[in-house]
Amino acid sequence: MFSLYKKELQSFFFSPFAYILTALFMLIFGFSFVTSIASMDSNVLKFSFPNIFYNNFFYFIFIIPILTMRSFADERRGGTEVLLLTSPLSVGKIVLAKFLSIATVFAVMMIASLFFPIFTALNGQVMWSSLICAYLGFFLWGLVCIAVGMLLSSLTGNAIIAAILGEIIMEGTLLADQLGGTALVNAYPKLNSLISWISMQRRFIYFSQGMFRLEDLIFFLSAAAVVICWNIIAIEKRRWSHS
Amino acid sequence: MVEIKNLSKYYGRNQAVKGIDFEIRDNEILGFLGPNGAGKSTTMNIIAGYLPSTGGTVTVNGFDITEQAAEAKKCIGYLPEIPPVYPDMRVEEYLKFVAGLKGVPRAERKSQVEASMEKLRITDMRRRLIRNLSKGYKQRVGFAQALLGSPKILILDEPTVGLDPAQVMEVRNLILELKKDHSIIFSSHILAEVSAVCERVVIINKGEIMAIDTIENLERNMTGNTILNLTADGDKEKITRLLKDIRGVVAIQNIEPVSENRHLYQIELENENVRNEIMSVLLNNQCSIAEMSLAKLNLEQVFMKLIQGQKKSSLQELIDETNASNPYDQEV
Repeated sequence: MFSLYKKELQSFFFSPFAYILTALFMLIFGFSFVTSIASMDSNVLKFSFPNIFYNNFFYFIFIIPILTMRSFADERRGGTEVLLLTSPLSVGKIVLAKFLSIATVFAVMMIASLFFPIFTALNGQVMWSSLICAYLGFFLWGLVCIAVGMLLSSLTGNAIIAAILGEIIMEGTLLADQLGGTALVNAYPKLNSLISWISMQRRFIYFSQGMFRLEDLIFFLSAAAVVICWNIIAIEKRRWSHS
Repeated sequence: MVEIKNLSKYYGRNQAVKGIDFEIRDNEILGFLGPNGAGKSTTMNIIAGYLPSTGGTVTVNGFDITEQAAEAKKCIGYLPEIPPVYPDMRVEEYLKFVAGLKGVPRAERKSQVEASMEKLRITDMRRRLIRNLSKGYKQRVGFAQALLGSPKILILDEPTVGLDPAQVMEVRNLILELKKDHSIIFSSHILAEVSAVCERVVIINKGEIMAIDTIENLERNMTGNTILNLTADGDKEKITRLLKDIRGVVAIQNIEPVSENRHLYQIELENENVRNEIMSVLLNNQCSIAEMSLAKLNLEQVFMKLIQGQKKSSLQELIDETNASNPYDQEV
């Protein structure tokens, strides 16, 4: 399993792929950071890093389907899926190895963006508790999105379609969150509670306030696990029906 | 050893493999022969554990391919029809990855990769990106991959497709060399290919096994009668009548028009000496001979008959049937 994990990581880092995406991530992050500073109107700038995440979810989430789109689609197109499925590795391990490698790339992207808070800490003060929680929350959310993106890549078998569908679903959940805040939805308490239960953005608010709730951790991890299992089943199912 | 019992595979309602049985013995090269779409690749994919079967069992060295998949898969090296290579990797890097994937211990990986590159003569290409390799070299990299992990059984799906004649010879020699420590199943739709390396052949068509026999049997049966290709001018009816009256002519298998008043006759003879008699009879009857040549009944023709015909228990029976049921056959 480690061999596959390593190979997947190499395919990201031996090509411009991971670097371009990391650069994009840092660009969005940095842009948000700079505009906050530029709009400073007093000597003391009150400024929160979790807010950067919060304001840029739409852009950050955009990156994830691009990371995951090739994971299974390219294997199917290039005929290398046969190699993986005829190896002694089980389907579960194959999916897990790929998931972990993409999660690693995502983690590297986030670590690169720590440049901004560290830079700030050198020149001012940073509230580390809320910052760490925000990073953790965003990372957990990212894991769920990675699992979903991989599932789409494996179901569609086409990288571009997987990416577009991924954007629709992930941005869709963000838009649903916004819909959840409207008066219309608030008029139906049950619908509202359903939306707020699946809402990742609302859970993120707790993280950004420096609260690390076990409930949220379990929610994100189990959501990712369910989607990963779904992916394993989807691959097995395609082998059995194979049309 | 691989045992395939009552194996069947449905794609939706379409049955691609219809309950086939055969075995691959230790240290033998088994040819798997059939036209395109016969179910060769499906069967090989099932044996290699890529696709599950709908019914029946595949046992690899005593391990069931679905029940004990990991153990069974460790005994198998598989070269699919399209070599499963990553275009963005370098040859050596790719082979090392596959060695790891197959669970080759870290200490042995380097030596195994070297050995398989050596066997396939791709050592010079080790630093090259696979994307930049020619089709023949990609095929070799795919083949080298199948050898990693020292599997006892090699499954090669059309390993020579797309290679030039010199490379085809190299691959054939390699397969013969590998026979020493591997059991090999080798598919092809080219008969000459299979007859060059295999001891036994399984002939499959439309998901059914048409025949399982050794190449020796096949060839012995094939070379029993001699075929004479005769191109002669003159009235078709008259020449046919004359030929039939000659002793030693078994049958006239086929008559094709070449041009006006000239036909090509395929005549089955008891032995070669009959042709002198044929020549003199035709000349005496004012029929001129344009061309005459001897041919062995070729394997391709029998193969064609086989895949168009009915299921038979042995090749001999099939060959007899083939001769008797020839639509152009005209008994003497």
